[in-house]
Amino acid sequence: MHIASGFLSPPVWGTMAAVSGAALAGSLAVAGQRLDERKVPLMGVMGAFVFAAQMVNFPVLPGTSGHLGGGFMLGILLGAPLGIIVMASILVVQSLVFQDGGIEALGANIFCMGVIPCLLGAAIRRLWVRRNVRVLADVVTVVGGVVGVLAGATVVILLLSWSGSLPGSVSLVQALGVMNLVHLFIGIVEGLVSVAVIRFVVTMRREAVFGPLAAAAPQEATP
Amino acid sequence: MSAYNRNTLIVGVAVALAVGGIVSYFASDKPDGLEKTQEDLAAAEPAHKGLDAPPVAFEQYTLKWLGEGFWGNAAAGAVGSMLVMGLLLGLGRLVRRKPAQAGAPESPADAT
Repeated sequence: MHIASGFLSPPVWGTMAAVSGAALAGSLAVAGQRLDERKVPLMGVMGAFVFAAQMVNFPVLPGTSGHLGGGFMLGILLGAPLGIIVMASILVVQSLVFQDGGIEALGANIFCMGVIPCLLGAAIRRLWVRRNVRVLADVVTVVGGVVGVLAGATVVILLLSWSGSLPGSVSLVQALGVMNLVHLFIGIVEGLVSVAVIRFVVTMRREAVFGPLAAAAPQEATP
Repeated sequence: MSAYNRNTLIVGVAVALAVGGIVSYFASDKPDGLEKTQEDLAAAEPAHKGLDAPPVAFEQYTLKWLGEGFWGNAAAGAVGSMLVMGLLLGLGRLVRRKPAQAGAPESPADAT
């Protein structure tokens, strides 16, 4: 779902660069205040894994493939700030080294595949950890994965539309329909893979995933 | 480094290399959801001046001098995932060091 170079107009990519830049700066500031030393290697390997997983395109509809986004599972496993930092790192490497996604479109791509699904995943993480609500955790994860992908896909089409990169003969509703239909199937795979990965990582590394946040749950007041 | 963290790295790197270096070779080469949508809507031509990185060592997800094939793809998966990990471990070290330098553990140096 990487927006390639040349499809966004300068005002649109400039705005998105500012928005994602602010989100990234905020994430780095928060991460600096509370970063458990067990989280650093987990964050590193999750970044390596999501990069690798994004290379695995799976067939969805005839003539169409999809690949994992990964932001949603990162939001659940790492929280929003670290998730956003990981997704931004992946997208920067993809754009600069592998020509996947335009450099000027980086802000937009970080927003659609990073900020949006990471915030959604982090909201679910918050329910699990701080409120201890774990009803139908797997079902919630699958649905959340789908919603995250569709939300990102919708914003991609809106950005393309505002950039004048949709042909005049195509209505916005029609474009949103085509994009969301394909990404519904991709989103279901995203949700199912997220369940499997989250179960594996939480089983193997529960302290690194939930430890510090659970400990700091009541309040974060320091003397 | 603690055994806990070292094992996190070992298992994570093994999984990432297996997925990016081996499994990805069997990936579908059909256009992804966004590319297909743009094709279907006949909006495939960029309308603005964009900026793509020059293909220095990698052409898409293939190491140029190994060519398209198993090893070219494996090299891309390995180098890409390790670049991301290196970047993140470096960032993690950088942001973690800041509070330690701002003030010694005993002295509350923040006057905010």
